[in-house]
Amino acid sequence: MSAKMNSKRRSAVQSVLLPVAFGGVLITAWQTGLLHKLLNTDEYVLPYPTRILTIISENTDKIMENVWASLEVALLGLLFGSVIGYLIAVFAASFRKLGSGGLTIVSSFNAIPIVALAPVIINWTKDVSPQADVRSMVAKIVIVTIVCMASMSVNAYRGLTELPAFSQDLMKTYGAGKLTEFRKLRLPNSIPYIFTALRVSVPVSIISALVSEYFAEYVIGVGRQIRENILIAQYSTAWAYILVACVIGIAMYAILIAAEAIVLKKRR
Amino acid sequence: MRLSKKALAVLITAAMITSAMSACSSSSSSTDASSTASSSSASSSSSAEGATADGDRIIAAAKDGKVGNWGLGNEYEIFALLTKYGQENKFISQAFDMDGFDDGSITLASAMTYNELGLVKNSYEGGYGYGDKVGIIDMNDEGVAMLEDNLFCTKESAQKNPNTVKAFIAASMKGWKYACENPEEAAKIVYEAGSSVSSDHQAYMASEVKKLCETDTKGNKVSDYGKMDEAAMQQTLDLAKKYIKLDDSAAADKLKNLTLDDIRNTSYWEDAMKESFDKPEKTDVSIQLKWLPQAQFMGYFVANAKGYYKDVGLNVNIVSGGGDIGETTAVNNGTVDFGVTWVSNLISANAGGMNLLEISQVYQRSGLVLVYKK
Repeated sequence: MSAKMNSKRRSAVQSVLLPVAFGGVLITAWQTGLLHKLLNTDEYVLPYPTRILTIISENTDKIMENVWASLEVALLGLLFGSVIGYLIAVFAASFRKLGSGGLTIVSSFNAIPIVALAPVIINWTKDVSPQADVRSMVAKIVIVTIVCMASMSVNAYRGLTELPAFSQDLMKTYGAGKLTEFRKLRLPNSIPYIFTALRVSVPVSIISALVSEYFAEYVIGVGRQIRENILIAQYSTAWAYILVACVIGIAMYAILIAAEAIVLKKRR
Repeated sequence: MRLSKKALAVLITAAMITSAMSACSSSSSSTDASSTASSSSASSSSSAEGATADGDRIIAAAKDGKVGNWGLGNEYEIFALLTKYGQENKFISQAFDMDGFDDGSITLASAMTYNELGLVKNSYEGGYGYGDKVGIIDMNDEGVAMLEDNLFCTKESAQKNPNTVKAFIAASMKGWKYACENPEEAAKIVYEAGSSVSSDHQAYMASEVKKLCETDTKGNKVSDYGKMDEAAMQQTLDLAKKYIKLDDSAAADKLKNLTLDDIRNTSYWEDAMKESFDKPEKTDVSIQLKWLPQAQFMGYFVANAKGYYKDVGLNVNIVSGGGDIGETTAVNNGTVDFGVTWVSNLISANAGGMNLLEISQVYQRSGLVLVYKK
């Protein structure tokens, strides 16, 4: 009992305390200027953490406006992309011969760099609305959708098709129809795979939302602010937005891990 | 209002995706979409037809949200213009081509006289061939001109190597003088030095850049290449203070208190013109362009090709810019010795904590215009 507690405590030390300690050391080195000496840079290109935090605290309204703009795009794109990706996987699993070819094409979307995809989609969606803010949002959501679709369809397909042999035998024994088999076996079996896909597509949705803002006609979003500020040589402000982007990414990932823990725990 | 716009965007996206999914082969839905789009664009262009005067045109385009600019530090003159006509300081982010102008999503598009204006008007390679059907609104005429391409270095290097700086200015301005007197030859020199655009466009650019070097914001002739006109510099600084918005409070405070003496020093140029300088302290120097190699920077290419730099004992490397390369950062961190930037960009860089110094002002007037279809 006590040995088990000890090992648990040790793993807690390893997984929580060590990274926190490392972060603490890094921030201390950063604030004291040691990091600047190590990286051979100046406090201009790499401002002190206190300076960055001051800018964030002074501009919370403007920053939050940009955060919501980016989050909306990332989350809606993630939602659309995941749903469509899952439907593609269902289609591919139902019609195996036709589907696997289609799946290869969809997964090849993953290989398109966002910087190449974004201008194309933005030009393509110019007709959808006379208002630049509406059509820019559409373009950005479509970009995130395409990127998120690929990882979901490939992973969900595996979840829908790689079934334990004994479960399939059981289904056959009961004489279950295709629909029942899907509902009782394939769907539950695919749930862990959905989370595998989301672990990839959640960070990717944020990245692609930020990059698509670079090219969008309507000027808004955390990514766009980073670019604008770097180009007018406002590195402290750019770093403030970079920090905010990191926090968004980490927060979304943490929520996903928590959701995964809750959902998958129930299944065990 | 805001919420409904977002809901609209979501709906459109959902509709697009479902129609794309369901109608892989059937083309009927896509023709539907294009016909509604064309009808809506027709109605908006007819509303702008009534407006003829520039002011009305600007107000109409601003109300439609169809004024275009590249942003990224190029937008301040547009802000000043919109403010002049009582409009909100907003623009559509314009790509580095003129497709937005061509397809009508931007009705007042930003253009540099020597570059995009030529592409829109002319029909050579890469041109859109609009010819006389293009009208322009000039920032100089509107009284909101801010000075653009200059020559700068760090305050530190100017103090440390004054003779290098003066020699570089002297040879560069000799290059600019020759280039402006012989724009066709200059265009050829730039083209051969590794141009980013066609030789036809290069020749057009050289002829337009010549005008910017030899005419001031009021339309008067200038004969001193690289001269820093006090009034035009002051107007640039005043507009910069008004329209450059910095989130960093320390930088914003610094911007508010900047004077011309914080951003430029005329003595290097004056000595260079009198040719009163000694042997350069540093002989191998480099200059960072603001953009790709093109006639916009012809003076430096000519000075190099004609051996003017060699004559003053300098060995010069011309470094191409383009995309997101920050010329102010490159000069400030010592990667290169000299740079070409817009005065407004130098102002915001110094407000942000850099120590840059303008040593010559090559363009005497603003090259930015707004273009519209007549």
